[in-house]
Amino acid sequence: MNPADQPPILPQAYPATTAPLPLGTGPGESEPIAKPTQAIEAMLRQPRRLVHQLRQTGGGKLILQLTALGVLCVAIYGVVVGTFSGGDQLWAAPAKLALGMLGAGLICLPSLFIFSCLAGSRASLKEVVGMVAGLVLLMTLLLIGFAPVAWVFSQSINSVAMMGFLHLSFGFVALLFGLRFLSQGFQWMETRSNAGLKIWMLIFTLVVIQMTTALRPIIGTADTFLPQEKKFFLAHWFEQMTGQSRFSEFAD
Amino acid sequence: MNASRLEGRFAGLQIPELLAARADTIKAWLAEPLTKRLGTQVAIIVLGAGVYGATLGLWRSPLQALYVALKFPLILLLTTLFNALLNGMLAQLLGLSVRFMDSFRLILISFATAAVILAGFSPLTFFALWNAPPLTDTLSATREVYSGIILMHVAAIATAGIAANIKLLQSLRTLSGDALRARLILFSWLAGNLLLGSQLVWNLRPFIGAPYLPVEFLRPTAFEGSFFEAVLFALRQLFAN
Repeated sequence: MNPADQPPILPQAYPATTAPLPLGTGPGESEPIAKPTQAIEAMLRQPRRLVHQLRQTGGGKLILQLTALGVLCVAIYGVVVGTFSGGDQLWAAPAKLALGMLGAGLICLPSLFIFSCLAGSRASLKEVVGMVAGLVLLMTLLLIGFAPVAWVFSQSINSVAMMGFLHLSFGFVALLFGLRFLSQGFQWMETRSNAGLKIWMLIFTLVVIQMTTALRPIIGTADTFLPQEKKFFLAHWFEQMTGQSRFSEFAD
Repeated sequence: MNASRLEGRFAGLQIPELLAARADTIKAWLAEPLTKRLGTQVAIIVLGAGVYGATLGLWRSPLQALYVALKFPLILLLTTLFNALLNGMLAQLLGLSVRFMDSFRLILISFATAAVILAGFSPLTFFALWNAPPLTDTLSATREVYSGIILMHVAAIATAGIAANIKLLQSLRTLSGDALRARLILFSWLAGNLLLGSQLVWNLRPFIGAPYLPVEFLRPTAFEGSFFEAVLFALRQLFAN
């Protein structure tokens, strides 16, 4: 056949395959992450670089860096949470939030490793730890972003339930982005199935929410540092919603 | 000041360029140092939103007009400032490859656009107030007139907001090269800005000013309660009756 009869082959705007490129092949992904500022920048702008660096020698140091940054960020947000009640809550809220976030990560870590193995991922335990540290850092970075908004509200709102709802909403948005990072990270590590990961995400969400009830009060005040009565978070929320409803007069 | 000098100063504000928000203009502005255009854009917000704010408070009294002329731009500037960090992070997470401060500038440009549009509406709202019975005269200023004035302001502010956001979306589309991504970023910014902005509006009330309450910069209860609690309260009242 005459080649002139055939239409010209147009260049493809996007690669024909949707499979992700191997980690470390993208621009800048091989650059090591040495400083905390680089870790934050990589978390926000180049998550593939971060995931790739977790797999390199020195990944352990990076994990420590991510964890320390996550704890620092959540503590800063915790101070903002504490401004609602003031007093002891200024140190108790950051301590509880940092403890809760680390606790949730540690509790859920073994199940994530198991689910990742079941899904055929090549991630080692160290890399899975790194992914959880990354998830926590991204969540807490976003919470820092929400901190000025939370502070404005905490200066005006009277109702603990309303303030709690706002903090939970901010946490939920942060969690969504964190889980998106985790999901993408496992895809880049050539995980075959996402089903187990989705179950883990649900478990992690429930654990984080339950932590806020197990370590209460975080927003309001109480006579004791930790609660005397054990409760599931839904029961606690229901009590908060029905127990307090102090509303201000209407605006003009 | 003669007419040509005034015209020269107006040209320095680059209002037509701001309203047109062409891709090349926005890109050129983002490439400049932050300080070069920051003062101009803040000035546009202070003047534009201030003039419109004055017409919001003028129905109640001239002093109320002055207060709202100060408070209205303050809401826009505080919202931009307080949400700068969050909006910058969201832009990067959602794939907009611009510098951190560029998100701040884009939002500032969008608020400046809204302020210009509001300034353009202010003669209209002033004319409407001029035709309305005085707010202090409780007999002639009926509930219907009050509601009508409020609706007029809502329509004006909504129009300015929608137009500014359409311009912002166009800029985001150009910068990200992806319509869906641009919409996602705009939506996330809008959500954060509306959340904070509505609370700041609540804190800085009154704007029109109830005729039976004194004229004051802030109500004594300015930092009690929230906009959303008030909305919930109103809904409860509505369904209770």
